[in-house]
Amino acid sequence: MSTHAEVEHAVAADWGGGTLPYRVGHKKLGMWLFIVSDALTFSALLIGYSYVRLSSAQWATPFSFSPSILFSTTMTLCLLSSSFTMVMAVKASAHGNRRVARRWIGGTMLGGLAFLVLHIYEWSHLISEGLRPFGLSPGSKFAHEWAERWPNASPLFGATFFAITGLHMFHVFTGVLYLGGVALTIRKRTHEDVEISGLYWHFVDLVWMFVFPMIYLLSVDFGR
Amino acid sequence: MSSRLQNLMQKQDVILNAICLLLATFFFILALSNLRWAGNFLTIDSLFMTVVCLMLAGIFVINPALWAHEHGLFAAEEKGAAPAHVDLHFEGTTKLFLAVLGSLLGLTLVEVMLAYFKVPLELMLTILMGLSIIKAALIVAYFMHLRFERLSLVLTLVPMLVVCICLLMIFFPDSFRLHNMRTYNQPVAPASHE
Repeated sequence: MSTHAEVEHAVAADWGGGTLPYRVGHKKLGMWLFIVSDALTFSALLIGYSYVRLSSAQWATPFSFSPSILFSTTMTLCLLSSSFTMVMAVKASAHGNRRVARRWIGGTMLGGLAFLVLHIYEWSHLISEGLRPFGLSPGSKFAHEWAERWPNASPLFGATFFAITGLHMFHVFTGVLYLGGVALTIRKRTHEDVEISGLYWHFVDLVWMFVFPMIYLLSVDFGR
Repeated sequence: MSSRLQNLMQKQDVILNAICLLLATFFFILALSNLRWAGNFLTIDSLFMTVVCLMLAGIFVINPALWAHEHGLFAAEEKGAAPAHVDLHFEGTTKLFLAVLGSLLGLTLVEVMLAYFKVPLELMLTILMGLSIIKAALIVAYFMHLRFERLSLVLTLVPMLVVCICLLMIFFPDSFRLHNMRTYNQPVAPASHE
């Protein structure tokens, strides 16, 4: 049973200064706050995409299952497994095994790089087929196909696609650089630093868990 | 000196909780009356307004509830929660992380299967959003360790994010309105269908 005085004392001990009220270091709390604000950025973008898509008369759904969706599923697998290796890195660093942690971080970076390479390949493929940020390049393969299948389609497909996946790609890119920095200087790093970089990486994975279904799976070619 | 400070804190507590409870009841009543005014309750607008009001009411209840919890009003509940607190360690085991990874992969597979079978768009959207929220919760809870952190940190981070995202959804009624107002929604031009 806690009396009133004890509760007051506990509150004063937590918030009176000199302690960490959340039992989390300031750097880690800062990363959490950054993640919350960044999550709002992405949700604003995704809701903007949904707004445009819902208010359009027609929306193109050009991703066929066999190459496109399977390709992006592979990208998802890369990102998910890199998230797992990051967790193992944080675990190793918690036990004080810096070398093991560095190796796991290396694995994470490989997963991220694989994701980036696949993603850039996909982008260049789509651009070569004629997808542009605000419409389609005239005379391209997409231009002919879309005019036949989705004559009233909104020209903003490319804008939403490139903006959202591009911002996410930028996050993956900076994440790989950040992890590289942590891995190189891991001898000077505390466990908290490794954990914070892990938080960022998991957030990038988390965002993809919404981008992948909303951008790719909902744009699968439903056929006629 | 210290007794005066304690008095002040008590007074502050009472005032704050009174304000919170007042606002909570206000929003609760607003939600209920919105349900009554709306006529047809299963429309996006009315559901949205009701949910927002209920959520705001719930948020204002949090502070008095936590205060009551600290003062031992829900002592029985605390006893139930106590053993769970003991085995919450900072670390998860490799097995746990593998299980989380496996379930994430499994859920992704289910999502891809939906695309393979070309489930109708609205149904697919609903299922996909549900699965994605489950996946996000798994990642946040286990990979980002939020389940093993202090409750106060979770309460600082998560509710405000959820509220802000829900408030962003106020744009959706407008997008439906735009969609219905489009003149070329009707087949004016001779669109050649099979």
